[in-house]
Amino acid sequence: MLEVDHLVTGYGGVPVLHDVSLTLNAGEIVGLLGANNAGKTTLINSLSGMYAPMSGRIRFEGHDVTAMTPKQRVEIGIIQVPEGRLVFPDMSVRENLLLGGINARARAHRPRTMDHVLELFPRLKERLGQNAGTLSGGEQQMLAIGRALMAEAKLLMLDEPSLGLSPLFVQYIFGIIDRLHAEGLSILLIEQNLNLTLRHAQRCYVLERGKVAIEGASDVVKDDPRTRRAYLGL
Amino acid sequence: MAEFLQALAQGLLIGSTYGLLALGMGLVYGVSGVVNFSHGDFISLGMFLCLALYSAFALDPYISLVITVPLMTVIGGLVYWYLLRPMVGHQFLMVVQLTLGLSLVLQNGILMVFGGQPARTPSVVESKLLILGDVVVRVPHVIAFVVSFAMAIGLYIMLRSTDFGRSIRAVHQNAHSAALMGIDVSRVQTLTFALGIGILAIAAALLLPGTPIQPAQGLRYTVITLIVVALGGMTNFVGIMLGGLIIGLSEAYGTIYLSDTLGMLLPYGIFVLIMLFRPQGLTWSSSR
Repeated sequence: MLEVDHLVTGYGGVPVLHDVSLTLNAGEIVGLLGANNAGKTTLINSLSGMYAPMSGRIRFEGHDVTAMTPKQRVEIGIIQVPEGRLVFPDMSVRENLLLGGINARARAHRPRTMDHVLELFPRLKERLGQNAGTLSGGEQQMLAIGRALMAEAKLLMLDEPSLGLSPLFVQYIFGIIDRLHAEGLSILLIEQNLNLTLRHAQRCYVLERGKVAIEGASDVVKDDPRTRRAYLGL
Repeated sequence: MAEFLQALAQGLLIGSTYGLLALGMGLVYGVSGVVNFSHGDFISLGMFLCLALYSAFALDPYISLVITVPLMTVIGGLVYWYLLRPMVGHQFLMVVQLTLGLSLVLQNGILMVFGGQPARTPSVVESKLLILGDVVVRVPHVIAFVVSFAMAIGLYIMLRSTDFGRSIRAVHQNAHSAALMGIDVSRVQTLTFALGIGILAIAAALLLPGTPIQPAQGLRYTVITLIVVALGGMTNFVGIMLGGLIIGLSEAYGTIYLSDTLGMLLPYGIFVLIMLFRPQGLTWSSSR
């Protein structure tokens, strides 16, 4: 479904990602691991079209999307839940969800999608009229995921969904991720939490200083001694 | 007492239009961080366009709106897309210089076409008066008040309950996040700037009847608008309209109780005082 081919991305002419290749098959959860500054967020933002790559190709469902704008990528179903959630703080939960579904493809069925999202997150239903800035971290994460589902994601890219959440909420969010996976959604999961990612993803890539250091099935990556070393950035 | 009420009425009526001028600037600042120093010169442009349409076709300024609003909206969109957009976000000082330069271009362009003498654009309602007890108000001022508040309320509803309005607020609150939702941030910024200039075309027609105009007046409107926006808290709708009323009132009281020239200074004095004691602006929370 997603093929990243020898991608090089950087800022101001200095590459951050060197020659990264990865694939994600339809219906898979793929984990993206790595220490801070390994380039995970840069990679996910490149997939969202926030930066033009210096070289390399990105293909989605057989189409070359390398030159597409962020807006066009949202319209074909590549949706990111950003690190830190970045909900719109001074807008209500309802308005945040409506904005999630603002793209041309999703706009027409927003009421129906919203019913589905609110059934998935009953807590959001209770808070519909409340400003997103007043929600707890866990609730904001629910909102951020709900907002991405409103966009009718085909590929959901989650950047650090467990960041700053209590263990109970982490468990809840990963329960949701499993449920979305069971419903057939393809998921790219960036996480600091190594064990949790290895448990939920079928395959993992470990990024180290902007390069793919290790890749393979989660069990294999788990037992590879290099994983922990790369992860600790040693 | 009659004098007092007279000034009150006049200040409130004119102040509402100052508020409207500032709403446009506040919106633009909110989505793109651009402070437009040619704001007042765009008002001039709107007024002189009305004058031109009157000279050529004897159109009343209120009717000229049908032409000036779309025209100025398009001009605003083009100016943002081709001049400001390449600089926005990384070259704040360049944006300031660019809008200052634009102010000089507009001012001298108008001077070149229309000459430097003060001019008037007559309107059918220009000399009509409304008498309420001791207070005499001019009908154009009443129209300005009603239209300004109607526009402010309309803008508020647009921001709250349309997709375009929500996109504007999303870009204001977090542009990165808005882009990830598939909102074209540059497009929203351009349309907002165009909208802001379109609003100025309306404000220009509202201020025009009975007011002599000359090409160098732009800076005065820019300064008034900046003061109102700063008073209101940049992106706070209620605060900005309130700021407009305060500046309108201080101008009116200054002209009546002090003198014509000293009176024009009063708004600036009051502004300095408010900024000394409430640097965060008038309203308690300045976010939206």
